[in-house]
Amino acid sequence: MNYNKVNNEVLSSLIGFIGLENVKTDGATLEKYSYDETPHGLRALPEVVLKPENTEQVSRILSLAEQNRIPVTFRGQGTGLSLGAVPTSGGMLVSFERMNRILEVDEDNLMAVVEAGVVLQDLRREVEKRGLFYPADPGERTSMVGGNVGTNAGGMNCVKYGKVRDYVLGLEAVLPSGKILNLGGKVVKRSTGYELIHLIIGSEGTLAAVTKVTLKLIKLPSLFITLYVPFNTLQGAIKSVSEILRDRITPTAIEFVERDVILETENRIGKKMPNHDSEAYLIIRLDGDNDSLLYDEGEKISGVCLRNGAVDVLVADTKESQNNIWDIRSAFYEGIVKNKDVEVIDTAVPRSKIPEFILEVKNISSRYGVRILCFGHAGDGNIHIHPQRNDLSVEEWSKKLPKIMEEVYRTSKAYGGTISGEHGIGLAKKKYLQIGLDEEQIRIMKEIKKIFDPNNILNPNKIFDIDDSTELVR
Amino acid sequence: MEIIVCIKQVPAITEVRIDPETNTLVREGVEAAINPFDMYALEEGIRLRERYGGWTTVMSMGPSQAESALREALALGVDHAILLSDKAFAGADTLATAYTLACGIRKIGVYDIVICGLKTTDGDTGQVGPGLAEELGMPHVSYVRRIIDITGKTLLVERSLEDYYEEIEAPLPSLITVTKEINEPRLPSFKGKMAARKAPIEVWNSNDLGGVLDRFGIRGSPTQVMKVFNPQPRLKGELLQGNPKSQADQLVKRLVEKRLA
Repeated sequence: MNYNKVNNEVLSSLIGFIGLENVKTDGATLEKYSYDETPHGLRALPEVVLKPENTEQVSRILSLAEQNRIPVTFRGQGTGLSLGAVPTSGGMLVSFERMNRILEVDEDNLMAVVEAGVVLQDLRREVEKRGLFYPADPGERTSMVGGNVGTNAGGMNCVKYGKVRDYVLGLEAVLPSGKILNLGGKVVKRSTGYELIHLIIGSEGTLAAVTKVTLKLIKLPSLFITLYVPFNTLQGAIKSVSEILRDRITPTAIEFVERDVILETENRIGKKMPNHDSEAYLIIRLDGDNDSLLYDEGEKISGVCLRNGAVDVLVADTKESQNNIWDIRSAFYEGIVKNKDVEVIDTAVPRSKIPEFILEVKNISSRYGVRILCFGHAGDGNIHIHPQRNDLSVEEWSKKLPKIMEEVYRTSKAYGGTISGEHGIGLAKKKYLQIGLDEEQIRIMKEIKKIFDPNNILNPNKIFDIDDSTELVR
Repeated sequence: MEIIVCIKQVPAITEVRIDPETNTLVREGVEAAINPFDMYALEEGIRLRERYGGWTTVMSMGPSQAESALREALALGVDHAILLSDKAFAGADTLATAYTLACGIRKIGVYDIVICGLKTTDGDTGQVGPGLAEELGMPHVSYVRRIIDITGKTLLVERSLEDYYEEIEAPLPSLITVTKEINEPRLPSFKGKMAARKAPIEVWNSNDLGGVLDRFGIRGSPTQVMKVFNPQPRLKGELLQGNPKSQADQLVKRLVEKRLA
């Protein structure tokens, strides 16, 4: 694809649109916007970093880019894990950091209207003050709503509350032409033509710029308790998950983790879990408004876990003791990935298949002699799998890793799973897309991309290549 | 071994708010919790029982809501819980509190060791533990960071001081107040929690305790609070930026400017 560079003429137009202080071309800024949180991820410098303040400005930027055939990459907080926000084709990088206003918390309709750059934890704090709850809880609480929409982020609460997609009722989005789409809105029900909102959610910035989001809110549960359950065997922990669900109990979250992940995280962040001597753990959160119903559910879960070999079932019911556990949980990723050679695999399988799937992953681990640590959202089948290089030579590692990834993806597929549950495809998982989707599906996606973005300027080379330039693993 | 742990229910740390008018703690509608230091006292009380056998009893003076703190202690594994609760106990300062707890402990009668948290997060005086020991006429060791051993009739502990620690031997019965270094408090087991939800809590009032009525509550409290205020926040330190050499240069320059070097 031939793109044009950001020349002085384009720059001065941009400065005219959003002001000199919001058009950055200095080396330090370009560097800061050249990567995301993908471990050892590729870095690529944009030619200019732009910080618009409103939709009108985004619209002018995009139509200028379209006229000049300059690629545009959108960026929230840069916490992505699949290189989605890395400007691999250079061009313009549009950061939504200044579009961070919570425009409205509508207590009559139980909705919030926010700009794309609102930080998740700010949104949650704001709605919780009013007794409302935005349940989507990606592990990274400093991520931005726009980025969450871009990847259809998930997180811990999916088992009970679903993904970001389930909460988006309206979107304001800008096309490369500069036209502004107002999709959906504050209506709960809609049966009126194709639901374009859902094409844009999860499109990783390849179809349009998301500038505003209308989100569904629910009542904030008044009670939360957390069960912390150590197991002597990994299989015991995993088996308990499907039994809990089969018992018709739907916790807020069921997280699964191996001991070494806890130990490495504790070392890194200097906080301690209530117990770290057992092989595997389930961390289960329950919510509700009725204390005795909540403890009845806890008792059932406790029974299932003890039958499956749990060493004990511990309970945290104060805010402080629960926060301690969930803060450490939120740092697992950081704990095992930072400063290490690690790959992040984000497969999701049907929940009933988790035990077999994990067993198979452990077989792959021993077959290749590569340590693989697992943790993740056992309650929704989304298990994060982390092969670690450790003592392997770089050469050996780079030989073995792609094979391991391919095998894990094929195994997930064979169990009816997917290659990414919540991180997205971006650039990092692009060559494996064909394992997850058949050719006809990808063809339709490419056609859709051409309709939204005929000149392929929006986040080019992500998810798939329009011109098939990447060699795919088939 | 007979172990008694004294605890207090306080506003949860995450919930602490100051009333800007009166400069006092807002206690209404605020989640309550066991005083954090007392969690270490409870843990140590339970560990001693696990190590030496016997019984661990938890005692608290407070309004009827303090029952939930005692249930929490039962969930953690203490054997008995006693709440000292009576309108006559209201408004107690540290002296009256120590007196009331002492009456409760005398009523229990048999005890080898009494454990208190170092201080409470709401009052922050650290006086009740030592005051209680005085009322009971027994020795106390404050700032205990480790119980080395309990042999026959003595207790051997490490006591934290600013730059060093002391090893202290005391006869039994004794009272200790414990620091955060002494252990890592456990989470209750779900089973313990469920049992504690239904467990009976013994409540003793001023009649049950006997004692001198004039020494309970506000009547027995000579302390008068003259004024409560928020301390001025300390000035923030300044962070020198740059590479080590430039930081060192800046530091030297500052020190010379201030005539410190």
